[in-house]
Amino acid sequence: MQKINFRKNIIGYIFSSPFFVFTFLMWIYPFVWGFIISFKKWNLISPYQPWVGFKNYIDVIKDPMLWLMVKNSVYFMVVFIFITTISSLGLALLIKQIPRFKGLYITGFLLSYVSSGVAYSMVFNLLFAGDGIVNNLLGVFKIKIGWFTNPYIAMASIALIVCWKFTGYYGLFFLAGLNNISTSIYEAAKIDGASAWQRFIKITVPLLNPTFVMIMVFATITSFNLFTEPYMITGGGPLNSTKTMMLEIYHRVFSLLQAGYGSTLAIVSAVITFVFVWVVRKLIERDDIYE
Amino acid sequence: MNKLRRYRIPLIYLILTIGLFFALFPYIWMVLSSFKVSEEIYTQFIPTKLTLDNYAFVFKGGTGQERNFISGMINSFIISIIPTITVIIFGILTAYSLRRLKIWGYKIYENFLVYQMLFPGVLFLIPLFLLMRDWRLINTFPAMIIRYLIDPWAIFIYIQFFKTIPESLLESARIDGASELKIIFKIMLPLSKTTTAIVALFTFMARWSEFLWPLIANKDYVKMPLSVLLALFTKGEYQTYPGIQMAGATLLTLPIVILFLLFRRHFEEGINFTGLKG
Repeated sequence: MQKINFRKNIIGYIFSSPFFVFTFLMWIYPFVWGFIISFKKWNLISPYQPWVGFKNYIDVIKDPMLWLMVKNSVYFMVVFIFITTISSLGLALLIKQIPRFKGLYITGFLLSYVSSGVAYSMVFNLLFAGDGIVNNLLGVFKIKIGWFTNPYIAMASIALIVCWKFTGYYGLFFLAGLNNISTSIYEAAKIDGASAWQRFIKITVPLLNPTFVMIMVFATITSFNLFTEPYMITGGGPLNSTKTMMLEIYHRVFSLLQAGYGSTLAIVSAVITFVFVWVVRKLIERDDIYE
Repeated sequence: MNKLRRYRIPLIYLILTIGLFFALFPYIWMVLSSFKVSEEIYTQFIPTKLTLDNYAFVFKGGTGQERNFISGMINSFIISIIPTITVIIFGILTAYSLRRLKIWGYKIYENFLVYQMLFPGVLFLIPLFLLMRDWRLINTFPAMIIRYLIDPWAIFIYIQFFKTIPESLLESARIDGASELKIIFKIMLPLSKTTTAIVALFTFMARWSEFLWPLIANKDYVKMPLSVLLALFTKGEYQTYPGIQMAGATLLTLPIVILFLLFRRHFEEGINFTGLKG
C-alpha cells in the first residue's frame, strides 16, 4: 500500500510539474517582482533603479487623479449594477414563464456576450455618434445627446453598452437560480394568500441571494478593470470623465515609462477592487436565507 | 383579471421579442453597414445598394501590405488555438494528479488555485511584460501566448468534475494493467466531454477577444491579432471610414459567434455546472 502511494505521488508530481513550473514563472515570480518595482523609481530601460521606499505609494494616493478614477469607476458600477440587475433578472423571470422556444431566446440574448470588446465598442461608437442612428431617432423628439462627448454622461453611456453585453449572460445565472427554487414554496405561499408581488419580494429575491452576490461581485470587478471600452471609444475623455485605473496604468507605464508608479497604481487598484468587493458582499450577502 | 391572464403569455413573448431585437440590433446594424456605401451608413437602415468594397479594402490590406486582415485573422487563430489545447491538456493532467492521485499537499494546491483565480490580472501586467522583454520575446508569438498556456480556472473545473467519478472505475482499470496516462486519456477525457467543451469554448473566446496583453506584448503589424490590428486601424487612419470599420468588426465577431452557436448547449450547462455549484 505504501509502495502504491509512493508510485502515485511520483507520477502525480510528474504530471503536474508543468503546472508548478508555470505557477512559479508566470505567477509567483511576477507577483513578487511587481511589489519590488513599486518601491523603486525606474524608467523601464535604465540599469539605475534606486529604491524610493513608499514614495510611489504616497504619490499615487496624493494624486487627485486616483480619486477621480475611483469616482468614475463607482459611477460606472452604480449605473451598471442597477441597469444590468433589473434587465437580467427581468429577462430570467420572463423566460422562465414561457412554455416554448426558451432555448431560442436564451441563445439570442447570449449572442451579445460573445462579442469581443474591440468589435462592439466600434459598433456602439458609431451607433451613439453625434450624428449616429440613435441620435437620428431621438431627433424626432428634438433630442440630441452627446453620449460619449458629454462628460456627465459618457461613463453612463459606457455602462449602458457593457449592460448590453452582460444582460443575457447574467440572465442565464438568474434563470439557473430561479430553477433551483422549489415550486412547493410558492404553492404554500399562495395557499397562505400571498400576492404575486409579495411572493417575489419574500421568496424569490431572498432565495436568489447567492446569485445576486455572485453577479454583483462580477460586476464590481468588471467596473474596476474597465479598459477596452474607454480605450476604444473615449480614450479616457472628455475631461478625464471615463478615465479608469487600467487606462492610467497603461498610459503611465507604456507611454511615460514610469514603471514604479505604474506598478504601485496596479497594487493600489487591486486593493481598491478588493475593498469594494468586500463592501458589496457585506451589504447584500445573507447566510440565513434557508431558515 | 381573466382577460389579463389570457393575454399574459402572448404579452411576454412580445416583450421578449422586442428585447431580443434590441439585443441583436448592434449585430444586425454592423453586418448591414459593412455592405453599405458610406453615404448610406447613417441615413439608411436597409441599404438600397450593396457593395463589397469595404471587404475588398479590408482584405487587400488598406494603405500598406503590412496591415493585412487575413494575416490578422490567422494570427488571432494561432494565439487562440494553442492556449486552448494546452489549457485542456495541462488542466486534465493537473486536476487528475491533485484530485485522483491525491499527491502530497493536494489540499494546499487546490486552495492555492482558488487564490490564483481571484487575483486581479492587473498585478501581473507589468512584471510579465518585463519578463517577456528579459527573455527577448517581445514582438513574437510566444510573448502573446506563454502566459496563457495553463489556466487555474480550467484545473479548478476539471477538479469539480473529477470529484464525481467513482474511484472503483479507476481501480478496475488499474487492475487491468492500464497506466495512469492511459486512464487519463482513455477514461477521464472521454467522460469529461462537457467540461472539455466548456473549457475549450471559454478559453478560445477569451483569447480571440483578448486586447490589452497582445497590445503590450507585440508591436509588430505582421504578427498582430485581428483585435489589436482593428483597434489601431480604427483609432488611426481609418477613423472616418465607418463601412470599413464595420467590415473589420464583422470579421472579428463572426468566428466567435459561429463557435458559440456550435457549442451553445455546453455553454448553458457550463453556467449551471461551474457557476452555482462551484
